[in-house]
Amino acid sequence: MAQPVHAPRVNNNDDVVKVARICVQVGDAVAAGDLLMELETEKATVDVEAESDGYVLAVACEQGQDIAVGAVALWLGATPDEAPPQASAGPVTMVADSGMTAKARLLLRRHALSAGAVPRTAARLTAADVEAYLALHPPAASSAPTPRRSSIELPAPAETSPLSSTARGMLATVTWQRDHAAAAYLELEYDPRPWEAAAAAFMRERRLLFSPLLSLMAHRLAQFAHNAGANATVLEGETAQLVRYKQANLGFTVQAGEVLYFCVVNAADTLAASDFVHKLFYLQRRAMGHNLTSAEMRGATIGFTSMARWGVRRHQPVLAPNTGVMIAHSASAPDGESAILGMTYDHRLLSGFDAVRLLKTLTQPGSY
Amino acid sequence: MDTLRRSVEQTHDMNMQSPVTVSDPIGVPGIARGSDGRPIIPADPAALYAYAQAIRGTETLLLDLFSKGQLSGTTHTCLGQEFCQMAVVRALRHADDAVLSNHRNHGHFLTYAGDFVGLVAEVMGREAGVCGGRGGSQHMAFRHFHSNGVQAGMTGIAVGLARAREMDGSEGIVAVMIGDGTLGEGLLYESMNLASVWPAPVLFVVEHNGIAQTTETAGTIGGDMLARGAAFGLTTRRVSDADPALWRIAAEAVDEVRATRRPGFLVIDTFRLGPHSKGDDLRTESEIATIRARDPVARLGDSLDSERRAAIDTSVADLIAQVAATAAASSEATDRAFRPSMFPPPTCLSDIAPAPPAPPATTARSVRTALNAAIGELLNDDPRTIVMGEDLHDPYGGAFKVTAGLSQRYAGRVVSTPISEAALTGAAIGLALAGYRPIVEIMFADFLTLCADQIYNHAVKFAGVFPELSVPMVIRTPAGGRRGYGPTHSQSPENIFAAIPGLTVLYGSQRHDNAALLRNAVQHWPYPTLFLEHKLVYGATEDPGRYRPLPAHAKDAGGAAFPTLCRRSATPDAAIVTYGGMVPFVEAAGERLAQEEELDLDILVLALLAPLPRHALIEALFGYDAIVIAEETHSGYGVGAELIACLAESGYRGTIRRVGAPPVPIPSARSLESAVLPGADSVVAAVLDAIAA
Ligand SMILES: Cc1ncc(C[n+]2csc(CCOP(=O)(O)OP(=O)(O)O)c2C)c(N)n1
Ligand SMILES: [Mg+2]
Repeated sequence: MAQPVHAPRVNNNDDVVKVARICVQVGDAVAAGDLLMELETEKATVDVEAESDGYVLAVACEQGQDIAVGAVALWLGATPDEAPPQASAGPVTMVADSGMTAKARLLLRRHALSAGAVPRTAARLTAADVEAYLALHPPAASSAPTPRRSSIELPAPAETSPLSSTARGMLATVTWQRDHAAAAYLELEYDPRPWEAAAAAFMRERRLLFSPLLSLMAHRLAQFAHNAGANATVLEGETAQLVRYKQANLGFTVQAGEVLYFCVVNAADTLAASDFVHKLFYLQRRAMGHNLTSAEMRGATIGFTSMARWGVRRHQPVLAPNTGVMIAHSASAPDGESAILGMTYDHRLLSGFDAVRLLKTLTQPGSY
Repeated sequence: MDTLRRSVEQTHDMNMQSPVTVSDPIGVPGIARGSDGRPIIPADPAALYAYAQAIRGTETLLLDLFSKGQLSGTTHTCLGQEFCQMAVVRALRHADDAVLSNHRNHGHFLTYAGDFVGLVAEVMGREAGVCGGRGGSQHMAFRHFHSNGVQAGMTGIAVGLARAREMDGSEGIVAVMIGDGTLGEGLLYESMNLASVWPAPVLFVVEHNGIAQTTETAGTIGGDMLARGAAFGLTTRRVSDADPALWRIAAEAVDEVRATRRPGFLVIDTFRLGPHSKGDDLRTESEIATIRARDPVARLGDSLDSERRAAIDTSVADLIAQVAATAAASSEATDRAFRPSMFPPPTCLSDIAPAPPAPPATTARSVRTALNAAIGELLNDDPRTIVMGEDLHDPYGGAFKVTAGLSQRYAGRVVSTPISEAALTGAAIGLALAGYRPIVEIMFADFLTLCADQIYNHAVKFAGVFPELSVPMVIRTPAGGRRGYGPTHSQSPENIFAAIPGLTVLYGSQRHDNAALLRNAVQHWPYPTLFLEHKLVYGATEDPGRYRPLPAHAKDAGGAAFPTLCRRSATPDAAIVTYGGMVPFVEAAGERLAQEEELDLDILVLALLAPLPRHALIEALFGYDAIVIAEETHSGYGVGAELIACLAESGYRGTIRRVGAPPVPIPSARSLESAVLPGADSVVAAVLDAIAA
């Protein structure tokens, strides 16, 4: 009959021991007193020896592993072909519906799909199965992006794969603008020097280690967006409704390596300039470290983006879902005396005149 | 009476040489004060009579104000017991001498502090009260005077204060006052024993008035009173407050404790003339009449020249009128000092070094080794560190070996004690009040309930009621099950203790830098702290893995010093919040959920359970659709319950599940124990359930 070899208690207070070395393999013949394995704790090392002659039937641990005192470390038998007993019923699987993984079920629910519709590549339906299906059959639900093409006629042989989460975010943004907003764009040329001077003074006075220029411009947007009617959106249902947000949550784009984040300073309109600058700086740092929580990327009502870093002189940004405005900051002209401030806005909310008025306000710094 | 007169004259002579006339604060006419401001009451009949009359007048005033509805709350007068209350306290003249008293403390307080207005205003709830109205009649504090309304509750603290004086090389001693009814309290005997074995210069004073509230103590005290002191090796004395030898014998008891640095036991026979508190007296008129007839204060008055007596009575009446007017003129206590929390901001974050990240893997060590090293460093770096507990001495080194090797290296500062958890906790409070940094080890967390009164009614009350005091002490204790120790050696009682206002509750894990947590708690955190250590975690290797500290929120006291750790995944489907011994089970559950269910989980590991770092947690958790909280202990009324309440209050709308043990005893047999304590399976099930909701 198969005999278990248990991990012995080495010290009274240690409930686990480390498997330092396993000296035998399945099938080995061993004699009583042969070294089977070495175990160690912080204080001591012990040899585990065979108590009788026999064969190694199974090794139930791995070198380097911590095993519980009293657990079966290996099985010995009188003959080499005995079967070690099956481990007593392993962990109970709690899955209510083992026909699919929990993640697959989440995705089905999120996209209002039924499991039967999605082909499976293994015994259980997986997230990859659902994502592959979604890539080919984009759901029509209004909350999800609705690409135009529903049937696929690929012009050339191709391989398809699910979008990355960043790409999915971008897709949601552009499809919202395409399907819901009435996006319009305008821009103003302005003298960037007063802004630069204000930011430099702010930096000096608060002893900042970074330029607050973009943060201060974004802060000014948060201050004026509401009265300009831009901190809002329109819900188009049976009867369309104007939604005016009670606070301005400012979304700000941060490019961290390959990933574009849109981090959000909540209630930015209620914050003093320096608090806002610090909050945004904190979020930018977290974004750079890929540490933003989903809560920190959620809930923007207005947006600000800059491509000055790459020397871009003008660009036309996309509205983030449910926002009324996105300001586009760009690099100054080489002489430093002029620059272009752009703005994409939801024409359902603002007239061109409203928009110019707001943009004009943003071309000049506040007093700090 | 002759001896009395003689000693009176001597004292008088001494006083003539250094008279200190004090006009402010208002005091008893003719009684001088020492340079410390304390009254010097000579053993002269007129002075003793005058002082006792002043105490009596003050208390009569209080009862009068009560009956007129001018006072609320409670008060216990020492009417009839004035001499009994004065005798020991007036003999305590060393600047370091301390008096710990109980509910019936006015005579002690007035003899020690001489602050009549402070007392009356305190009971009246006025600004001019000696504790600003926070303490009231039963909770007075002045210099080395402290009282508390829990019978015998101060006796362990007295031993700690006395031990501190001994270690300081001071000649000061501590007197602790109890009533005869309190001879029924167990803590008293733990304290007397501890004082005897350490030894500590404490005088235990029993005020034997034959009654406890309404119960005659003849029926509640078994055996002999003095034999109780003698049994513990205390020198014992007994005297009546009607005996002129009272003053001498009380002074001898004090002097002997001071000289021998050993504890003493003094019983003073006395009689209570007034009610227990206000109107609660079941005794008959004739019983009271008998007591009035022997009233030693009145009898001493009788012995005085009648003109002299009348003059004293008049000046005492003037004093009381002046005290009443001054106290009444003080405005009602305001909440100027009101704090919504007992962790005031200056000490909560910025001036505490956040625990540095756990040492890199090259210095891998077990949690036990880390704690042992930290305690060694604390002992080495700070002579105020004292470690006390059962069986700490080498070569045993504590039941879980956390103090191994330390008692030899730091002899006298790593102390094995009697099996007296309550007295030990009290002694730690006393040591902390006296400036030491005590670390107490309780052998099993299950026994913390024996410390509970000392924590709940004493440790957290000093700083809460008297803001200028702090009690920086740490109680370390192994908690948790899975070792088959059965119902009373396997529990994790953090739920009970996290509910105590002002108590900090920490629970490390193998992901934490336990040495840093302990160092911060002992050296930088001036509040009483419970430091739980899971028994299974001792042997585990400390390893932060991919965990990072959650950014502390400025509004969370202790958030930076005792960080919550967080392990994030790229696209989390849920968060699990856990702590202590549940961490490995939660991580195993996370692995299974990733492999079998393709779910990504973020794991948050708390160290600070109370005060809960709620702002940081809410901020961190708000973005998840599903949250599971996993505790090894029963989850009812618990830390997880508190966190869920915080989330609900802040408007969280996601799904929450709790994992914990059912509210039943933890069985001993391995198979039964693992059925009761939650494991990875329960966590997996809860996550799946939360996500499916
Ligand atoms: C632990 C505790 N139990 C009960 C009480 C309620 N209580 C207050 S005073 C008192 C009687 C105390 O009697 P004794 O110790 O003889 O003191 P005395 O009042 O006679 O001075 C009681 C029961 C208390 N304060 N503390
Ligand atoms: Mg009594």
